Amino acid sequence: MHINDGNDLSAKSDDSFSSLLDILQLSDSFFPTGMYTMSNGLEAIFYADKIKGPKDVADLIKVYLEYQLGPADCVGFGNSYRFIENKDLQKLIEIDHIIFSVKLVEEIRNASTRSGTQLIRCLDFFSQNKEFLKSYSAAVQIKKAHGVYPVAFAVACSSFDIPKENACTMMLYSFTVSIVGAALRLGLIQHFEGQKIIHDLKPVMLRAVRENIDKPIESIWQFAPQIDLYQIDHEKMDSKMFIT
Amino acid sequence: MGSSRIPRVGIGGPVGAGKTMLIEQVVPILSNEGYRVGIISNDVVSKEDADRMRKNLSTEKGLLSEDLVIGLATGGCPHTAVREDPSMNISVVEEMEEKHSDLDMIIIESGGDNITTTFSPALADYFIYIIDVAGGDKYPRKRGLGIESCDLLVINKIDLAPYVGADLGIMEKDARLVRKSKPYVFVNCKTGQGLKQVASHLIKDVLFELPPKAVAK
Repeated sequence: MHINDGNDLSAKSDDSFSSLLDILQLSDSFFPTGMYTMSNGLEAIFYADKIKGPKDVADLIKVYLEYQLGPADCVGFGNSYRFIENKDLQKLIEIDHIIFSVKLVEEIRNASTRSGTQLIRCLDFFSQNKEFLKSYSAAVQIKKAHGVYPVAFAVACSSFDIPKENACTMMLYSFTVSIVGAALRLGLIQHFEGQKIIHDLKPVMLRAVRENIDKPIESIWQFAPQIDLYQIDHEKMDSKMFIT
Repeated sequence: MGSSRIPRVGIGGPVGAGKTMLIEQVVPILSNEGYRVGIISNDVVSKEDADRMRKNLSTEKGLLSEDLVIGLATGGCPHTAVREDPSMNISVVEEMEEKHSDLDMIIIESGGDNITTTFSPALADYFIYIIDVAGGDKYPRKRGLGIESCDLLVINKIDLAPYVGADLGIMEKDARLVRKSKPYVFVNCKTGQGLKQVASHLIKDVLFELPPKAVAK
């Protein structure tokens, strides 16, 4: 975090507290990335009457984390951090394309790129550590990169010097919160249950980060075909509250 | 992201006030003047409004191509989608700007919401708030950010006033008081009454009376 407001606040501030504030800001659901508009297929599953209450919601999010976000997004995220550190834009763009291609459903791909693109634009508005942010943003603008969310989020977090593991955990946390939020608005769970689900899933999030963040690009995979099918069903729904 | 910004008009208002019908009536007037318009319709729980406008304005009247009417879901948060976090709307608007740089205007319809709805200036350059007399003649007096701060207040369904006990004189007096010098228009979207005035405001205040891009070329 970089504050130059003329008083002693920044001079006195502890680096770890400063980093904590950066983490809080970027992981806050108030941060404008449009995640509240996404259910990632939950809405279609709900209307297919295949999900009933908090346990089902928690189980579903566990599947997302272990079979989609962990082995694909986390690996992509970890490699993005490495390439950003090495200032290797070409490799970062390569990761961007791989993550885009493993998101099999068009609605999900579009939502991810729209969210990622708006994220880096917002960061560009106030972040002072912009060198790589500008390069990636320019690549998105000229259509060399898609701006897919996990890569954009890595670019954003690295511009704040947030440690890789913390940043990746934030990504999974924000995803979990967005699904829980969608479940709440669909009337599947009530608000205390939502918080319990988030709490109970913390070990799953941590495990997904630890198991995947240092893996090479070649190990990227995702396999949750039933969820893919519901996400495709969602694209065809006439009446829906969420964009995914 | 890379293309130039096309003037954007946000239309907000309560559920059933007539947002969709206002667009359906104003777009043909603008089209008749040669202006090309794209529409993004935020819907709370369906894409019915977008489908209806596509059918009416595109398929039946041929005023615009079908891909110029886009429906967008808002996760049940219509006000958030146009004010606090308009990320998804901005993305879709920019995609439309990139694909259709010849458009003169993009209209963004908010999902039905309450009287505090406003549009982020990052999303819309001009903001119309529409209410209808069936909600009661108290509406303008109740204020609310939407009614107070919009660039143009549209009061719809004036033909219903005698049936719902609404006094249009009171609504006009309160609208003038609450909005000070900012304009308001009484309309009937069913008959077209007052809608040329709405279109005139858009041509004057949003397009600055510039000729349509197609003519300027």
